[in-house]
Amino acid sequence: MASKAKSRWADDEADAALEAQLKKEKEEKKRLKAEKARRLEAEKQAREAAAAAAQQEGDGANGPPAKRRKVSPERETAQAAGGSDGSANAPKLLRFDGGAFGKSRSVENYDKLNDIEEGAYGWVSRAKEAATGKVVALKRLKIDPKDRGGLPVTGLREIQILKDCDHRNVVKLREVVVGDDTSKIENIFLVLEFLEHDLKSILEDMPEPFLASEVKTLLQQLASGVAYLHDNWILHRDLKTSNLLLNNRGQLKIADFGMARYVGDPPPRQLTQLVVTLWYRAPELLLGAARYGASIDMWSVGCIFGELLTREPLLQGRNEVDELTKIFELCGVPTDESWPGFRRLPNARTLRLPPSSGGKTASGSVIRAKFPLLTAAGVGLLNGLLALDPDKRPTAKEMLAHEYFRQDPKPKQEAMFPTFPSKAGQERRRRRETPNAPARGQQAADFGAVDFSGIFAGREREERGGGFSLRMV
Amino acid sequence: MSHMANPLATPDQLFQRRSFGSLPIEFQDTVFFATQCLTQAAGLLLQLPQSVTAQANVLLARYWLVESMMSHEFGDVSAAIVYLTAKLSPHPRSPRDLANVYAYLLSPSTSLFHPPTAPPPPNNPSIYYLSEPAYQTFHTRLLALEAHILYTLSFNTHVALPHPLAITYLQALEFLGTQKEKIGKRAVAYLNTALLSPQMLYLTSQPNALAVAAVYNAARDVGAKMPECEWWEVFDVDREELGFLVVGMRSVEGWGAKIRGDLKGMMMGVGRGMVTRGHVEGELGRRGVKVGNGADVVDAEEEVARRMDEKMAEMEAGV
Repeated sequence: MASKAKSRWADDEADAALEAQLKKEKEEKKRLKAEKARRLEAEKQAREAAAAAAQQEGDGANGPPAKRRKVSPERETAQAAGGSDGSANAPKLLRFDGGAFGKSRSVENYDKLNDIEEGAYGWVSRAKEAATGKVVALKRLKIDPKDRGGLPVTGLREIQILKDCDHRNVVKLREVVVGDDTSKIENIFLVLEFLEHDLKSILEDMPEPFLASEVKTLLQQLASGVAYLHDNWILHRDLKTSNLLLNNRGQLKIADFGMARYVGDPPPRQLTQLVVTLWYRAPELLLGAARYGASIDMWSVGCIFGELLTREPLLQGRNEVDELTKIFELCGVPTDESWPGFRRLPNARTLRLPPSSGGKTASGSVIRAKFPLLTAAGVGLLNGLLALDPDKRPTAKEMLAHEYFRQDPKPKQEAMFPTFPSKAGQERRRRRETPNAPARGQQAADFGAVDFSGIFAGREREERGGGFSLRMV
Repeated sequence: MSHMANPLATPDQLFQRRSFGSLPIEFQDTVFFATQCLTQAAGLLLQLPQSVTAQANVLLARYWLVESMMSHEFGDVSAAIVYLTAKLSPHPRSPRDLANVYAYLLSPSTSLFHPPTAPPPPNNPSIYYLSEPAYQTFHTRLLALEAHILYTLSFNTHVALPHPLAITYLQALEFLGTQKEKIGKRAVAYLNTALLSPQMLYLTSQPNALAVAAVYNAARDVGAKMPECEWWEVFDVDREELGFLVVGMRSVEGWGAKIRGDLKGMMMGVGRGMVTRGHVEGELGRRGVKVGNGADVVDAEEEVARRMDEKMAEMEAGV
């Protein structure tokens, strides 16, 4: 069989002759070797026979359940034996490995080092696995013993989704452990990989904003993580800088899947609008859409993009109405052309907007003016992500292919990323002023009749862009 | 690939359960079958899609491979699993709904486990009326068990079902030139029946293998002409596994009939309703096998420890 494969390459006579000679020499050697091999083989066979006999004996003792299992090792040896004399017809079958199942381990396997933060959905602390010395983040699931619904579905979804995820830009769930008293499960901890920083605290503390190349690295990683999630039918529904972790090697990971869920295509008809922290919430959610898709995450990515450039959250609304006002101020007021059908959303029916025909400039997007240092491609991307019409926003995959990432300056290599003094390592992270994601069961905002017609009233007095602001369209 | 793969039972787990379980094998099988049937019935009454109930069946089988059967009441385990699975699905059900459905299914008024030839049991709503304290205690048990089940499965609730795969495979085979509906229904029926199998086919085979075996069985039943080549290899199943599953799936029906007979015996004349731990203990007592003393239950670990102690004592005596 081997010679056949070789002959494909030997296409002229010289080659063939040379090969024939080599072959002859080889055969000579082979014959000598064969003597030796035969002796070894005999020994090996004897050993194998003994092993097989032992195996059979062991399996016999196993009784019925082993019946099915028994066949696999035997077949393997049979195949290995048959393989040498060229049974090429053995099929190559794909094997799926789903792992095994068993009881959770105890949290006692970890030594707590220090607390990191306390969020609306649980406490996070830094801990060390006693056996390996590996540092991990322990996230305790908040369980309300008075809640007669049992374990919170958000926590269970987070576990389920994280267990299914495997991507370099998504935080890894190593295992779930429980408190020591297993007769009553009250303490549940998610063992997550530990990353030194979250993007929010870095942005708050850094004296100078990220370089353009660094923004691109971060954004590219974020987009690739989001693309992975969306590819796997997962909506994160709470993307924000405090949920993006960064390690000292410049690697960004998406964390906190407390709001995430699986969706199908077409998306489920009744999804809660009470998702995504207010400052990162897409306009269709604020307008009460019950049917939404991956584009709500892309809106949040747009908000994060803006935040990376300025170190300040882009749209800091005080409440739903104020948030919507800020959105319209930045991105312009929706019209039937820019967002067909937005009037049909529950909260949009009573909306009073400034007449679009009146001031053309007043209702357009001011993103260009707000980010004077951004390149045209960057503005194009940001404008796309912050498109009011969800259908006009790029998908995460489209975003990755965007011109912006190919332009100079190129995304900085992760290894070249600056490091930052670790907060999570030693001290408690600062309690942040960011609002939290909405809690389940809250009432969705009902605006009633809200008047937005005055939001551009004082616009003439506004500062326009930076020092060398470009001509506005 | 998560929708193609399931965590499988290890040979060790299967061996442990068969050999050191606190119940004799035929009891294990009977209880397994009865509880899976109960779960299916509850899914129907709760109007859950079969995709949810089937996941519950698989999780139940996994749970009992790790935790001893006698540690909790069978009906409660079934209820908690259904509650948990529904909660994680797009079709959550309230504890109140579960309490009502299980109160009915566990009462003698239900026609579940009732021979189809016999006249239906008299419907007596006062038997399955659920008083408030009864509901409260059920609810408390439900929540405790939910947490316990999750702990036992280390919070891994992922179940990939073979049903959609079977249909996809049938489409790829162009329904083998038969009526789509007929062969499709037959294949799905095989997959649903396999959920009840005490061989725990869903814990030993990946969904693609189950789907191929169901397609094969369905094709044989409707008399479809299958490709002459080894077509199952296209779906990554080898002949041996296919053969095992085909026989396994076909045997469930006859085996179920036998179990129903056993159940009758175990219930000693009660003859209807769901088997409980009390019944099992009673039957074991009659056969002279003791499971713990009264309410106390020997769990598998203790049993192993006891056997090891005995062995040690023997060895020492021998020396």
